[in-house]
Amino acid sequence: MLSQEHITGHAATAIDEGGMLTMLVPALTILAVVLCGLFAAMRVKNKAPAFVTVALLAASFVAVLMTYLNLGVEKTWIAHGFDWINFSWSGSENRKLTTHALIANFSFYLDGLTILWMLFVTGLGTLIALYASEYMSHDVGAGYCRFFAAFSLFVFSMACLVMADNFLLLYLGWEGVGLCSYLLIGYFYKKPSAVAAAKKAFIVNRIGDLFLALGIMLIYTHFGSLEYTTVFAQTETYIEALKEGNLEVIPATVQLIPLLLMGGAFGKSAQLPLYVWLPDAMEGPTPVSALIHAATMVTAGVFLVARTYPLFLLSEHALPAVAWIGALTAFFSATIGMAQFDIKRIMAYSTVSQLGYMFCGLGVLTSVGGAFHVFTHAFFKAMLFLACGAVMHGFAGQLDLRKLSGVGFMRGWKVTTVAMLVGCLNLAGFPIITSGYWSKDMILGEAFANPHTQAIGWILLLTAGLTAYYTFRVFFRVFVGPVQYEMGDEHHGAHEDAHGHGEATHAPAHATHATPHAPGWAINTVLAVLAISAFAIIPFTYSHGGWVHTMIEGSTARYEGAAAYLGHGEHAHGTFLGFEAHGALMVVSGIVGAIGIVIAWWLHYAGRTTAATSRADALLPKLGPIPRWAQHKWYVDEFYDFLIVRPLWVLSNIFHFIDQYIVDGIVDLFGAAPSLTGKAVRPSQSGELHSYAAWMAGGMAVLILIVILVAT
Amino acid sequence: MGAIINPFILYGLCVLGGAGVCLALPRGGRTPQVIGALLAALIGGAALLFLGVKAGHDHPNYYFYVFSLIGLGAGLRVITHPRPVYAALYFILTVIASAGLFLILSAEFMAFALIIVYAGAILITYLFVIMLATQAPEEGEIEVLADYDVNAREPLAATVVGFLLLALLTSMIFKGIGNLPGPGNALGKDVAANMPLKAERALRSAGLIKAGETVSMINLEEGFIQIQDLDGQFQKIERRDWPKSLESTNIEHVGFNLLRDHPGTIEIAGVILLMAMLGAVVLSRKQVQLDEEAKRAQAHRLGLIEREGGSA
Amino acid sequence: MSDLLTLAQSGYPAPIAGVTLAHYLFVSAAMFVLGLIGFLTRRNLIIMFLCTELMFQAAGIALVAFGRYHLNFHGQTFVIFILTVAAAEAAMALALVVLLFRRKESLNAEAWQDLKG
Repeated sequence: MLSQEHITGHAATAIDEGGMLTMLVPALTILAVVLCGLFAAMRVKNKAPAFVTVALLAASFVAVLMTYLNLGVEKTWIAHGFDWINFSWSGSENRKLTTHALIANFSFYLDGLTILWMLFVTGLGTLIALYASEYMSHDVGAGYCRFFAAFSLFVFSMACLVMADNFLLLYLGWEGVGLCSYLLIGYFYKKPSAVAAAKKAFIVNRIGDLFLALGIMLIYTHFGSLEYTTVFAQTETYIEALKEGNLEVIPATVQLIPLLLMGGAFGKSAQLPLYVWLPDAMEGPTPVSALIHAATMVTAGVFLVARTYPLFLLSEHALPAVAWIGALTAFFSATIGMAQFDIKRIMAYSTVSQLGYMFCGLGVLTSVGGAFHVFTHAFFKAMLFLACGAVMHGFAGQLDLRKLSGVGFMRGWKVTTVAMLVGCLNLAGFPIITSGYWSKDMILGEAFANPHTQAIGWILLLTAGLTAYYTFRVFFRVFVGPVQYEMGDEHHGAHEDAHGHGEATHAPAHATHATPHAPGWAINTVLAVLAISAFAIIPFTYSHGGWVHTMIEGSTARYEGAAAYLGHGEHAHGTFLGFEAHGALMVVSGIVGAIGIVIAWWLHYAGRTTAATSRADALLPKLGPIPRWAQHKWYVDEFYDFLIVRPLWVLSNIFHFIDQYIVDGIVDLFGAAPSLTGKAVRPSQSGELHSYAAWMAGGMAVLILIVILVAT
Repeated sequence: MGAIINPFILYGLCVLGGAGVCLALPRGGRTPQVIGALLAALIGGAALLFLGVKAGHDHPNYYFYVFSLIGLGAGLRVITHPRPVYAALYFILTVIASAGLFLILSAEFMAFALIIVYAGAILITYLFVIMLATQAPEEGEIEVLADYDVNAREPLAATVVGFLLLALLTSMIFKGIGNLPGPGNALGKDVAANMPLKAERALRSAGLIKAGETVSMINLEEGFIQIQDLDGQFQKIERRDWPKSLESTNIEHVGFNLLRDHPGTIEIAGVILLMAMLGAVVLSRKQVQLDEEAKRAQAHRLGLIEREGGSA
Repeated sequence: MSDLLTLAQSGYPAPIAGVTLAHYLFVSAAMFVLGLIGFLTRRNLIIMFLCTELMFQAAGIALVAFGRYHLNFHGQTFVIFILTVAAAEAAMALALVVLLFRRKESLNAEAWQDLKG
């Protein structure tokens, strides 16, 4: 589809100074952090932190939007904030004077990719902060301030990550979002499972970050710069060489870089084998799950691949590896998602699965499709999480789909239900009227369009069916059917105890929380806005991404055609069972999604009379142990525990032993030696003048003896 | 040349001498002190005798042996006499014997300085302090020596340590150190060059220069003194013609050595003495407790307050 | 053993009237050791200081003898410094002795063991 004509044209993309307005984004978000800190110091007991955060994030969104409207995306703009790291030195190699520089300024690289990402990061950030203002209301006080400070810090870090004009600033943002993720997952820090989940997320992310750091170091050693402009100018020459068929001009080092970056991306975006942290990250408050662990942070990996797409194009194996791992993750996590009962976890596994789709999109050379899916997914997945969060909020932490039924028929839950339905339709890829359908279809079509990636296409198609099934399983179990519910055991008052402000200001309001309470205006507004925008983006993105396409076209993720020279080209000639791939897939994926929905309806809605059981329960035993295995997440956590955690635990115990008894022992010995010596010789300090003199005389005798014996 | 003394004889003498000293130390009359003292003195004499016999000189320097024996014997009494006053007096005897040895070593100035400073000053101080720090016996009582004067503390162990040290020290001495620098310049030839006035006076009293003539140069390397007469003529006096009184004396040598070679040290010595004097004054000042009446009287005497008038 | 302790007479300056440097050093060493034994055994503070004077005396003899046999005057000069130190020491030490005696009415050195701190 995208062929030769795209190869040229991009080289002429001009780079210009400008877009200083975007500097407001980090400034405003940091201001929000500082203000939240001040509120905490002043012991503010109202919702001021939330509204300050919402206002400043909205201002950030407006700043990004203004930048986009003023500058457009035809050119790449560099907004120079201030010199951050700027060294240069000269040395000599082979008797030639060489100049080295390490430049990593606080500057922003504004192209379509950046603007696209920043628009939905700040936009969704604003909406979700508004949602959180109500959702977190049980925790008004120090916890509230802490939440919104971390929230704003997250947006700041994400802005650094996305808008950075060099890899070091990107890495700063990368680690910053990881830190905020850790802080927010562990928000209920008195809850052991939340703390464990936070640690797990942080540690698993470290593994990925190690690869990213290595990749960045390799970029610096090979290209001699960390700035995108310099690096991509050099990749361009490689691309030119590729066009002439010189595959061997590309050094092995350069081929290694994308593989390392890929490792970092898979850690942050929860792909096999590093996906395990994301489902556990649902221990955090739901707005956090929606913003960080569904819409924005987890797409940082996709962003990284898209940003460094020129580097990925230089490697023969990087993009196929991305595609395959994405596809396998998509399928694998969909199978787990089918068997879960915790609705938030189902959404988490669907996030992992959809992230797999996005990587597939990048891997099968439709970066527009990948970015498009990121964009649509950000809206509908945030919406799904927020709807689930509304349920959780209203039913005192109840998340088990066996204990909730017919929520949609209860008073005050209309907006939530509609939003949930819209989100489910999008996720399931309901034909024509959902943006999720269009973006997923682009990836599927492109996968089948390339004869080398047909297998990936089939996996994705199957996954699409599974996705539709498990999505509507949630909807049919929880939101429709007979009205039946069981309240959760999580009293909001419990959080207050957890946060240590024992004042009884909020406890009475929630103490009699035996009945569900419907979401208030803030949650409903946000859900409505998101539901509308999920539809509203369809006209803008109709036909091959539309607006998203124009955004990606001028960005670093634009080199689709060049990959044809890598040997996995001729992708435009693949077909789906003999039909033209894109056209056929529009029909087929719609049918597959519909089948999934119908199966879910048959198993989980039709004839269901209680919340706890459905027809599926009768079916499950016939499948043998597979559902149980899937419910236990295929025992991956146990496997990792056995393979990595236990050995490390044993090893660390050994090292601990060595440290405590051998290393510390030696140190203690040095410390004890003077004291023991002192104890041994203390009796000689008798205070008797005579004994001192006798010791002196004896010592002199010994010295003379030594002189006699040695000096002969 | 063989050993000056057989080492085994020396060590044997050390052991015996140690035994003697050990016995001679005061132990409240429980030990035969006199026998010990005699034994120790005998051993000291024997050792010196051995040294003298083995020296093998035709005319041994008897003064050395006499002074040594007196010095060591008096030293023995210093450490063995229970009465501090007697010990101090015996120490004066040691000082005088040492001064005798100094004379043999042609250190006349040091010999007299030793007697003046030690016997004349330091030991007098000791005697004063002994008198100050001893309680006078009550009228009619027999003076009883203090227990700490009568009983020596662990005499055996101390003697063993001491004579072990002596054996080692003498081993060192008789082993020789080797490679000592050879004799330097002959004593006192360079000093005269720094004393033209003395040279002129000596020459004048010897009649070698007459009135009106002056010494213009003293050349010790070539051994002549140049004089200038009234007419401006130069004239040399060779070394063989120099009068005896031109030779520099011991005190001149010591003085030059002290002030020319160690000027800083002598300054420091002066400071040490000053500080010691101040310290001694501060330390030994007696805190006089004045009662109120005495204070008032003192204040009146100094005119600090008016005499209490009739108002009282 | 005998070889080991053979007097290396050749390395020494020539004997003066049949008395070698070793003779003086022997006397000096013996006197020093007498002083040392006195210091170790006697308990009277004054006599202990007297014994240190005895050791000074021995050192003085050795210094003067060395100077004589090496034909220079440094030995004698240093005896002057010994005199200085001895005088200073006597002044200070005796002042302290008087002070201590006033405190405890005793000159017993063992009475002051608690000064060890």
